[in-house]
Amino acid sequence: MSPKRKISLSEEELIHALRRREKVAAEALYDMYSASLYGVIVRIVNDDIAAEDILQETFLKIWNSFSAYSADKGRLFTWMVNIARNLSIDKLRSKDFKNQSKNRELENNVGLIDERENTVYKPELLGIKELVETLKPEQKSILDLVYFKGYTHVEAAEQLGVPLGTIKTRLRMAIQQLRKSFN
Amino acid sequence: MEDVKAYIESGILELYVLGDISAEEKLQVETMASKHPEVKAELDAIESSMERYAELNEVEPAPALRERVLNSLVTNLGDDRIFRDKPASAREEKVVQLVQQKSNNFYKYAFAACLALLVVSVAALVTIYNKYQSANGQLVTLQLQNQKFANTVNLLDGQLSVFRDPSFKMIRLNGTSKTPKSELMIGWSPNRKKLIIDMGRSRMPLTDETHSYQLWAIVGGKPVDLGVFEANEQNADALKEMKAVDSAEAFAVTLEPRGGSPIPTMDNMMVVGNTK
Repeated sequence: MSPKRKISLSEEELIHALRRREKVAAEALYDMYSASLYGVIVRIVNDDIAAEDILQETFLKIWNSFSAYSADKGRLFTWMVNIARNLSIDKLRSKDFKNQSKNRELENNVGLIDERENTVYKPELLGIKELVETLKPEQKSILDLVYFKGYTHVEAAEQLGVPLGTIKTRLRMAIQQLRKSFN
Repeated sequence: MEDVKAYIESGILELYVLGDISAEEKLQVETMASKHPEVKAELDAIESSMERYAELNEVEPAPALRERVLNSLVTNLGDDRIFRDKPASAREEKVVQLVQQKSNNFYKYAFAACLALLVVSVAALVTIYNKYQSANGQLVTLQLQNQKFANTVNLLDGQLSVFRDPSFKMIRLNGTSKTPKSELMIGWSPNRKKLIIDMGRSRMPLTDETHSYQLWAIVGGKPVDLGVFEANEQNADALKEMKAVDSAEAFAVTLEPRGGSPIPTMDNMMVVGNTK
């Protein structure tokens, strides 16, 4: 492992620093969350250059509209990842992006990115990865469709050809399974 | 709390965390979470696991991106706290200056606006004054024309009253050997005791400033003065009323010094005509 010069703060400290718009907050924000957010973004748009732009846009939006975030409504990451996902989905559905990537296979790219990009190993996550692999295939596919492909659960139901109720149940089961793995 | 359990198990909390939910449902979830701690706890658990799932699937962006993103955030700092180390006095000075400049600008623009308004007003005033002048001129012209028409109407009215009146007798006085081309038309109404000269149907040499014509009636062989008249440009069409007589054998016109003479200068007889 390379020596860490990355800044890390507790979520509480970070929120406080972000409110005060301190420079250190911007750095900590990037160091703590860029990889997680980029992982989501790049899986949705499946394009490095677009993903980098969206990551920048995401941080800008987080930074500029931070007053809209309230800790009462949930975790910081949930708020941020939803910004990232919305920007990614907007990009994905924008006309010029569609034209640009006309010839690209948009389906089933999650595995591809994992093969290509997933070079980061965190010792604390070793073993858990295997546990996550215990997700049933239908659980993993619905979770990845929604989380990493930007599908709404309605679109996912159409894509997979199963009723909405089933989608909701599978999604819940998948997340339950994750929780078990992490605990 | 069956309801809460069913609510948790419906899967809506997962959709909430994934942001895949309508605004109404979102509000509903937030209300439920604030009311029921177990909903809030469930939400927390879901959020944590999704966060960890994202960490598990993280992809490190290109190292160069860090500087790019941080720079864009820093240039975006509206109230740039990076310059916090500047002395406070310098900052304040700057603020004061800015405010001053703003108010200066306001008066500058207000003054410019007033000036522009003044110029426009003066231009409008000049235009309107010119129009007023020309309208006034036209009015005077029209009044004059109207006067002229009224005069003409009066004149024609007078002529009509003469010509329509059967008691008027039109008598033509012909030129003498002295001025054979002259001729004078008079209208005479013995009943009404009226006598007029119709200049419109007469041809008399114009009189000069020292002379005038004098009309005479010959009554019982003696000349009776009926008044003087001029022949000039102004009265070329006029009807001229003269003194009247009850009876006359003839009428004659002589050229006399201006103002007339008590007895006619027979040498200067211009026209003469019998009544019979």
